[in-house]
Amino acid sequence: MTAPRNGSHRTLAELSVPSEPGNERRAMEAVADTVEGLGLPGRTLERLKTAVAEATMNAMEHGNRYREEALVLIEVSATDAEISVRITDEGAGPAAFDPETPDLEAKLDGAQTPRGWGLFLIKSMVDEMNVTGDERHHTVELILHLNGRKEASDGRKAL
Amino acid sequence: MAVKHFEAEVRREPSGAVLDLRGEINGFAQEALDAAYAEAEKENPGAILLNFEEVDYINSTGIALIVGLLARARAAKRDLSAYGLSEHYVEIFNITRLSDFVNVFPDERSAMGDRRQQENLKPEA
Repeated sequence: MTAPRNGSHRTLAELSVPSEPGNERRAMEAVADTVEGLGLPGRTLERLKTAVAEATMNAMEHGNRYREEALVLIEVSATDAEISVRITDEGAGPAAFDPETPDLEAKLDGAQTPRGWGLFLIKSMVDEMNVTGDERHHTVELILHLNGRKEASDGRKAL
Repeated sequence: MAVKHFEAEVRREPSGAVLDLRGEINGFAQEALDAAYAEAEKENPGAILLNFEEVDYINSTGIALIVGLLARARAAKRDLSAYGLSEHYVEIFNITRLSDFVNVFPDERSAMGDRRQQENLKPEA
């Protein structure tokens, strides 16, 4: 689905997936197909896919409580400078992300649960992450900068 | 989209037990992964090697499952190695620091070669 241009801000796709386990891959592949023509380096595309999958999984699990009838809405848009993916669930209250920074040694020692990697992965994979919400929705916005993007040789984002 | 199946099989090699993993490592993989790891632990191998060559997706829950395997390996003082990860998942092993505790190799040959070298360096009893 492609919407008309809105100034320099283009909506590339508006998608939705039911909140069923595993559907984060469907969302991830749909977003990858949508941005295919934008010339993202393969490594950057893989990062975006992981961030989309994790944010969608969080929306299905914590926002929509895996109620199949509750949709996760995904809007992909772009300007010349950035790609934005907005992922919206039907949850109320503050968006639920595990606030604890994952510490592998603490996890191995049993001081932290082995889980809790989602937010960390999202933040590591994209340039910006913004969370907004009201009494009926949460939205996580993922932003990738297109200009002057530098990647360290070990694959990590340059800060 | 149907959720892809996950399978894990155990192979015994002189260098240790190899877990051949196939499919997606997510929450659905837990039972099969845990069962295969338990099978691999039998005969008390010095090392367990995770073969990711046919794994095309790992999510945060899958990372948690791998953390669980690493905790089991450390408790048993057993080396845990991985090979066949895509460049993207090598990056994820780096940023999560899994690669500080799991030896990551590009392929089975290099993983096995390292194991043989480790065995040769061990002092004789």
